[in-house]
Amino acid sequence: MIRFDRVTKRYGHRAVVDSVSLEVRKGGLCVLLGESGSGKSTLMRMVNRMVEPDAGRVMLDGTDIANVPPESLRHGIGYVIQSVGLFPHWRVADNIATVPRLLGWDAARVASRVDALLQLVGLPPEDFRARYPHELSGGQAQRIGLARALAADPPVLLMDEPFSALDPGIRRGLQVALRRIHAETAKTILFVTHDVEEALLLADELAVMQDGRLLAHGRPAEVLRRDADPVVKRLFGEATLAFHRLGTLRAANAARPASATQPAEAQLPILPPDSNLKQALMLMLESGTDQVALPGGATLHLSDILAAA
Amino acid sequence: MRLPRRAVPLLAQAAAFLLALWAAPHLGALWGAPFPDVQRPVWDQRGWFALLGAHLMLSVGAVVIAAALGLGGGILATRGQGRLRPLLDALFALAQSVPPIAAIALALPLLGFGAAPTMLALVLYACLPVLRGTVAGLDGVAPAVLDAARGTGMGAARVLWQVELPLAAPVILSGLRVAVVLSIATAAVGAMAGAECLGTPIVVGLANNNGAYVLQGGLFTAWLALLADRALALLAR
Repeated sequence: MIRFDRVTKRYGHRAVVDSVSLEVRKGGLCVLLGESGSGKSTLMRMVNRMVEPDAGRVMLDGTDIANVPPESLRHGIGYVIQSVGLFPHWRVADNIATVPRLLGWDAARVASRVDALLQLVGLPPEDFRARYPHELSGGQAQRIGLARALAADPPVLLMDEPFSALDPGIRRGLQVALRRIHAETAKTILFVTHDVEEALLLADELAVMQDGRLLAHGRPAEVLRRDADPVVKRLFGEATLAFHRLGTLRAANAARPASATQPAEAQLPILPPDSNLKQALMLMLESGTDQVALPGGATLHLSDILAAA
Repeated sequence: MRLPRRAVPLLAQAAAFLLALWAAPHLGALWGAPFPDVQRPVWDQRGWFALLGAHLMLSVGAVVIAAALGLGGGILATRGQGRLRPLLDALFALAQSVPPIAAIALALPLLGFGAAPTMLALVLYACLPVLRGTVAGLDGVAPAVLDAARGTGMGAARVLWQVELPLAAPVILSGLRVAVVLSIATAAVGAMAGAECLGTPIVVGLANNNGAYVLQGGLFTAWLALLADRALALLAR
């Protein structure tokens, strides 16, 4: 668990991070959302002491990290950055093996870990372990960056706009991969982005920052509620706020259970499991109906969506 | 095995150089042709290979010292937000701005005649390109790579040895290459201080109005400098 306790960072007279308190629960994926210059990256980089706060403290599992030497602290925290920063003179396998080697793992253990990680990030080991970074596409390089961060199985992962420089299709692939990896590994992840769609896709918890201050924090549905802070509304786009909110609500929670008197019509389009209301609305628009069926026989009407939003 | 193949032309040139040194005493007609007034155009006061050995000792010795200073200075100049950079750069530039001949003359009373003042002059002259190469090379390492290296928990020394220096090596090596060429070409002035080298025939020739000696000393000094440049270019690739 990560806990920021009234942390402040000033550059000159300007407070880049201004007395922020925030808790990220163990195993959670917390997205720090804000425009550039909002202080979100600075806040994140305090966790591995790449930035030292001027005031306040950062606790990691109850320990004040100011008392942990930066190098050993960082061995236990995966770090992924937008520009990836693979070591260009090392092969993919050596890049991934960076932290395990710093920790003194033996060669056999390192090699098998490298292969396991390449598989985890969806790249065939035999094809990739001997490549140099310049032989990778942007998306592949960031997958390797993620593998390097996960190499020594750190409980915490810091990700600073890791997908922002990638093409939309590649980005979506990596977002899906990250969700899967998060579900499989139960890491505590702090993820920085300025991309609203990405934030809503990934976040268990959302923390919105502006001018160094934490504006809102909570589950995405809470942050996007109707009476949200005006600045939050503006950040998400006032006109599309309701639409984004639909994306945070599960379709199953708004649906009508299957009833014997009114059986679901066979020809209704079927929504995939675990869909949200935004996806349900999209499916209605796509198929020109005002009802969709959920797996298991429940149905969802357009009016249900309006009521839930 | 790519390197040996590329090295073949270089080895051929080195062989040609050594062959020319061996043949020089027998080429009186060649050396004398541009200087019809010179009675004894063939340099025979000292063996060419002895001069070559002494020249290499001087210039390579000076480059080793200059490389250590330049590399150390360059690393220092890029630590701690480069606070020391202006000072170090000015210091090394000042050192190079002293003409080697003046440095030798000024050092003579302190160090006496021979190799010592020559070495000093060469070191002063050759350490600036190494410093500049080192600074440029270290500056050229991508900030993202450094951020990632620190972020993975590498200590400062490890980041320097395993990431910064290997990535900066090509640029450092090009600075070193300039230093070697400068040092070999300039070592010839050591003959003024009585240090034996390929410059000795030049100094003797100037003193005795023997243009043929000057030609031979100048030719072999320049040839050696070019060879060294080629060899380091090969190494840099």
